Amino acid sequence: MPPALDTRALTKRYDDGTLALENFDLTIPEGSFFGLLGPNGAGKTTLINAVCNLIRVTAGEILIFGQPTTALDARRQVGLAEQDINLDRFLSVRETLIYHGGYFGMEKDDAEGRADEMIDAFDLRAKADVRTPKLSGGMRRRVLLARALMHRPRLVILDEPTAGVDFELRTELWRYIRQLHSEGTTILLTTHYLDEAETLCEEIALIRGGRLIARDSADGLRERFGADSLADVYVKAMATAP
Amino acid sequence: MTGFRWLARREVLRVSKLWTQTVLAPVLSSLLFILVFGLSLGDRIRDIDGFAYSEFIVPGLIAMAMVQAAYNNNASTIYQARSDRYVNDVLSAPMHPWQMNLGFIVGGFVRALMIGTALTLCAIPLTHVPLEQPLALALAVVLSLVLFSALGTVVGIFAEQWDHTAFISNVLILPLAFVGGVFYSVSLLPSPWEELSHFNPIFYLVQAMRYGFLGESDVSPVLALGVTAALAIPTYLWAQWLFSSGRKLKA
Repeated sequence: MPPALDTRALTKRYDDGTLALENFDLTIPEGSFFGLLGPNGAGKTTLINAVCNLIRVTAGEILIFGQPTTALDARRQVGLAEQDINLDRFLSVRETLIYHGGYFGMEKDDAEGRADEMIDAFDLRAKADVRTPKLSGGMRRRVLLARALMHRPRLVILDEPTAGVDFELRTELWRYIRQLHSEGTTILLTTHYLDEAETLCEEIALIRGGRLIARDSADGLRERFGADSLADVYVKAMATAP
Repeated sequence: MTGFRWLARREVLRVSKLWTQTVLAPVLSSLLFILVFGLSLGDRIRDIDGFAYSEFIVPGLIAMAMVQAAYNNNASTIYQARSDRYVNDVLSAPMHPWQMNLGFIVGGFVRALMIGTALTLCAIPLTHVPLEQPLALALAVVLSLVLFSALGTVVGIFAEQWDHTAFISNVLILPLAFVGGVFYSVSLLPSPWEELSHFNPIFYLVQAMRYGFLGESDVSPVLALGVTAALAIPTYLWAQWLFSSGRKLKA
């Protein structure tokens, strides 16, 4: 069974010369809940953008369930909720979900049915016909997550999904993400909340300066770094990284 | 093809949601030109190439309104999608680059066709302008709209701020349209202005449209359509290359 995500010697150098990823190898098995931790500028979002065809990769290879990311079928397997809210300002909540489904190959009836499911799952019914710029921040975050899941991806990438959301919504999102994982979906989560990573993720990778420093379960990382908490692991790992 | 259909549909939905701005406003402003220049002042201007002035200016005015709409539509939709970053939803989707390019172009095309159809339906009873060569007109419309929709796409991809999209429209397209024979026959111009007009690309598409409506033009319709095609094809390929390479769309 091919892994959900496999990057080989992935390198990204931006036009301004910034080296965001260097020979980055990462394999995420299918069905896992994988966390990616690192400071701002570590390369987390660059990695995600490379996987989702949103940047031009300098070198290396990316395979999604064994297929190169350039293959249309590989792209269909990935759902992305970006860090920043990027909803189409001309569409209502329902239209946002239906059109996203259409972009990802869903036929009209299927997309409409699935959009209704997502609207109920994320408690968006009262706002279904409201255009996205008129939603509150929390509601937009829900739509963003619903959109990422709309086309039933096998690999869901969540880039800091709970940044700036209140405790209630954060707990609700956790519950939904856990349920999704229990149904067999592979999850790649980036977060700055160490408790979130420890609570949700089966395996965690620490990255800095575009390089992988360590990867293991939370317990394994604590043991390896001789630390009592994941926070201590993070501090030690970042301090020792080149 | 499903993704392409939905992207095209989204672009048309955007046009229809903003219909007062995207369709009604350009139709009204072009109708004002027809009413003021054609009907009010037209009686005081002698016939041009055997046509009443009100008939003569209709093809050029329709061409001008359509190409501006096609350009503005695509420049604004792409720039906005890039600026708000919801273009990522399209770029990450399982679509071929040609489907993305064509999907965006449909929006400008449909908007311009709505404007052109509305103006033609208003102009026929007002000015009695004929439709002498409908096939040539259809070809001229297709080529012109491919050219200006694709140009809008290219500018929308390169623009760093709103002003850049407006700059091309206000400083390039509009002046070239005005001196491209919309309001007069360039054969009436003294030398060297007549000869210089032949270096204006918009002159040829105005002539192609005029031939379609009136059956007459300042240059051969084959030349007019040929020059328009010679501009439309590379511009379309340029837009296509931007989607294929990801240049300016992806970091």
